[in-house]
Amino acid sequence: MNTPVKEVQTAAVPATSSSPNRLRSLQSLGIFCGFAAGAWLGGAEAPIKLVNPDISPITVSLIMVCGVFLARWSVPAFVRGTSHVRNDVRQAPHLVVWAILAGCMWAVANTLTVYAIRNVGLSIAFPLWNSNSLLGILWGVLLFKELHYAGWKRWLGVLGGAICMFAGATLLAIASSQQAAPGKATLGVLAALGAGILWGTMYIPYRKAYLTGMNPLSFVTFFTIGELATMTILALGYRGRIPLWHELISARDVLFWLMLGGFVWVIGDLFQQYATKYVGISRGIPLSNTNQLWGLMWGILVFNELHGAHGSVYAQVAGGSFLMALGAVAIALSSATDREHSSWQDAAEREGKRYRIESEYVSAGLEGRAYGNYETRRTLLDWFLIIGTTGLFVALAVVARFPHVSLNLSWAVALTAALLALLGTCGLVLWRTTRFR
Amino acid sequence: MSDSQPTKHNVFFAIATDLHFWIPLAVLLGGLVLLDRLR
Repeated sequence: MNTPVKEVQTAAVPATSSSPNRLRSLQSLGIFCGFAAGAWLGGAEAPIKLVNPDISPITVSLIMVCGVFLARWSVPAFVRGTSHVRNDVRQAPHLVVWAILAGCMWAVANTLTVYAIRNVGLSIAFPLWNSNSLLGILWGVLLFKELHYAGWKRWLGVLGGAICMFAGATLLAIASSQQAAPGKATLGVLAALGAGILWGTMYIPYRKAYLTGMNPLSFVTFFTIGELATMTILALGYRGRIPLWHELISARDVLFWLMLGGFVWVIGDLFQQYATKYVGISRGIPLSNTNQLWGLMWGILVFNELHGAHGSVYAQVAGGSFLMALGAVAIALSSATDREHSSWQDAAEREGKRYRIESEYVSAGLEGRAYGNYETRRTLLDWFLIIGTTGLFVALAVVARFPHVSLNLSWAVALTAALLALLGTCGLVLWRTTRFR
Repeated sequence: MSDSQPTKHNVFFAIATDLHFWIPLAVLLGGLVLLDRLR
């Protein structure tokens, strides 16, 4: 069953598109994607809040990653068809290795956060691993010529903005902390720092992929293989085969919520990938770290967290939110200049030479335009992925139980509408500007 | 396949000789060791 994808591969974006106007529109697109990523990554926390805390965190992570795996294959199949993935791998096969490596890093970092929260509490752990954006800036500058020829104002905007967001994240984490009893403090701090270093370094493969022209929708399909394999090995090693199976069976009425959380997270992560592609890791990652702000909004407005808290807590929330928003605006206003963009192209050329990738493929990828004249169709595999994933989610929803949690439904509807509006608007702009390239 | 296209051998050689590859790999191994200590 072959159905033509509603996309004309050739004349979507002019071939001579490296004009300053084109670069500016890609920069604006990347910044918009960064903000949309923050909203969806933060929104992913909502379904997870509905789940009974008795389930082991490792099992929660494993189930979420199963939802993530399904989303990372079915969303690209729905948006562009998996034949695009084959075309990308043919052009840049080395990126399969890089994507799997990044997926393994994500899974280990995510598991470390479980230990960090357990040992030092969220208030200390969150700001420590949120430092990943500062490490991302370092790698961006050192390895990929980001912020070269940027001028002191843009340096100040990006670095100052990231530090401002870090300070805001610290305040928010302290305010939202449940005052978990600190246990093995040193190990907890090490775990949180380890997660931050792993996530910050994970952006090296991201940038590597996008500098050499890969489509984010292709990258994530291999990323998730590393993610699922590592998470499965860790869960089997930590829980044991039989206890893990029993825990999965007993959690069947919340499987839907956890996998939905994973699915929502993937939408946010896809926007993050596009942000990384079009504005680099030094700007894209701090912007998507606004997810903490959205997570807090869901917590306070929908789940009535901090209800009856002391006035100083609300002051911390207001101050932290303001600092985060200020930092994000500073970064958003520090888009790359034409000279900086030309140094990105130098880095891309270097990568292209090393991995013998056609220069036209690399520059087309960087500019978000079509490469070659492929006529792509949705295949039987695409329909199997789309229908199979939808069917599985419907089946899990049927057996799911809505937990007895006090919710503010009006705010839940309002925030969900905001997420959908961002998805629709940002998706439309992505489609119009790059055809999801 | 033309000469300029990457083969399996030269892809792995290019990765193995790329310093950028060893940085995340070393960090991943460090993370696994840390995780093992935390268990």
